[in-house]
Amino acid sequence: CVTLDVQAACQDTTVTQELLKEGFHRDLLVKVELGEDAGGCAVAARMHLPPGIYVDPYELATLQQHNLTKAVLIPDVIDVEAPEYLARDLLLLLFLEPDTRRSRCFRAAVPVHARYHRPAEGTEEALVILESPEVLLCCCHRHLSAECWEPAEVDAPCSSDSTGPCQWHSTKHRPAYEESMLRVPVGLREHSSLVCALTLLTTGLCSGLILAAACKYGHFS
Amino acid sequence: GCCAAAWLLNPLPMAVSSRGNAEALVALLVLATLYWVETGSVGKAAVCYGLAVHMKIYPLTYALPIALRLRTRPRRGEGALRAGGNKAAKFTFMARLWHLFVKMLNRDVLLFGTLAGSVLAALTLAFYHLYGWEFLEHAYLYHLTRRDIRHNFSPYFYMLYLTAESKWSFALGLAAFLPQVLLLLVVSIAFYRDLAFSCFLHTTIFVTFNKVCTSQYFVWYLCLLPLVMPSIKMSWRRGVLLLFLWFIGQGLWLAPAYFLEFKGYNTFLFIWLAGLLFLLINSLIIVQIISHYQKEGQVAKKLKQR
Repeated sequence: CVTLDVQAACQDTTVTQELLKEGFHRDLLVKVELGEDAGGCAVAARMHLPPGIYVDPYELATLQQHNLTKAVLIPDVIDVEAPEYLARDLLLLLFLEPDTRRSRCFRAAVPVHARYHRPAEGTEEALVILESPEVLLCCCHRHLSAECWEPAEVDAPCSSDSTGPCQWHSTKHRPAYEESMLRVPVGLREHSSLVCALTLLTTGLCSGLILAAACKYGHFS
Repeated sequence: GCCAAAWLLNPLPMAVSSRGNAEALVALLVLATLYWVETGSVGKAAVCYGLAVHMKIYPLTYALPIALRLRTRPRRGEGALRAGGNKAAKFTFMARLWHLFVKMLNRDVLLFGTLAGSVLAALTLAFYHLYGWEFLEHAYLYHLTRRDIRHNFSPYFYMLYLTAESKWSFALGLAAFLPQVLLLLVVSIAFYRDLAFSCFLHTTIFVTFNKVCTSQYFVWYLCLLPLVMPSIKMSWRRGVLLLFLWFIGQGLWLAPAYFLEFKGYNTFLFIWLAGLLFLLINSLIIVQIISHYQKEGQVAKKLKQR
C-alpha cells in the first residue's frame, strides 16, 4: 500500500508536448503539471531532438535576448542546411515559465524546423518522432522528497543568481507519455528519371538559345 | 536618371537589403570597379575588385571580361596592330581563340591581376590573423563542400535533391556546371567591348543556370541594369511584358513553395516545373536583351556605312 501511495503521488507530474503550426516551421509547446508546489525551484524540460528536426541557434539567441524563451542547446553549433541523413541529434533544455492562471503548471514554447529527408518510394511523407520530454527541477533552497525525485546530471547551469548549492533533479518514475509525430513531405524516387531527363533537356535547350543569340549578335573579331 | 530608378526604386533590392544582406555594398564595389576600368584607372579598379571578391566570391567571374576589355583598350601605337588584326579573320576559329587569350597578357591586365590578387591576399591574411581557421572555413572552404538541396529557384534543385545520394550525383553536378561555364565563356568573348553589358549578361547567366538560386542573387545583376538600359533599344511595351513575365515566373514558383514550406503539402513536382518555366522565361529575357542590344558606336557605324 505504501509503495502504491508513493507512486501515486509521483505520477501526478504530467508532461505534454504539442507541435503548433504546419509545414517545416513549427512551434514546440511543452506543458508540465507538477504533483507538488515547485517552491522556488526552476522547472525545465529536457528533450532529445532526432536529426530530422532542429532548433536554429541564432533564432534562439534572438528570443533569449528579448526574454521570450530560455533554453540551452547541446551542441550549440548546428548546420541548418544539412539534410536529415547528414545531421546529428540534439539535446534541448527548455526552461519553463509558470502558468499565471494555474498553479503548479509550467509551459514554454520554442520554434523548431524540420530538415529535408531522403526521397522515398511509394510514400509522400517522412515521419519524425519526438520522444516525450524529461521533467527536471533545479532547486537551491529546497529539499525534494527522495521518493519522487533523484539527482540528475545536466550540462547546464541551474540558476544565475544562486548563492547556495543548487542541484538538478529528475523524476524517479517517468510519467506515461505519448510521442509526438511530425510529418515532413519528401520527394518521390519514382520521379527521378523524368526529372533528370526533362531538366537536362530544358537547360540544354535554353543554353542553346542563348548561345545562338550570342553568336548571332556578338562580335567575335 | 530614369535608368537609375530601375535600381533605386526597385522593390526587390529594397526587400533583399532589409533582410540583413550587404549586397548593396558589393554592388557598389562592382560598379566602382567597372567605372575605374572604363576611365582607365586600372589601379583603383584593381583595388575595388579585390575588395569586392573578398566580400562576395561571385565577382571573380568578371575577371575574364575585364581582362579582355583591358587588353583591347585603345593605346598609342597599337593602331597599326589593330588594323593588321583584320587578317586574323582568315585564320581558323581555334587560332583566333588562342590569339585572343595569349595576347591578353598586356601591361594593364598584369597590373590589374597583380594588384587585385595582392589586395585579396592581404585581406585574407588580415582576417585569418583576426579570426583564424573559422574565417577561411566560412568564407571560402564552405562553398567547396556545401550541399544545399532545399527548394530554390534553380531548375536543378529537384534533380539534385532526388539524386543526392546516388552514384550519378557527381556526373549530374558536372552536367549542370557545363552549360553555365560554356555560356559565360562565349558571352565574355562576344561582348567584352561593352564591359557593363558583358558583366550584366555574365551575372544573369551565372545566376539563372546556377545549381542554387535565391532572390538575393537577383540583386547581383539588377545593380548593373541601369548601366545597360540605355543600350537596349526595346519598345516600352516589350520591356514591360518581359518584366511582367519575370515576376509571373517568380510568382508561379513562390505559390507551391509556400504550400510546401508553410503548409506541409507535397508540391515538389509543381516547384520543379515552376523552376523550369522560370529558366525558360529568364532565357527568353536574356535572348531578347541580346537581340535588342545596340551600342551607340554601332549605330554611328551603321549610319556611316549608308
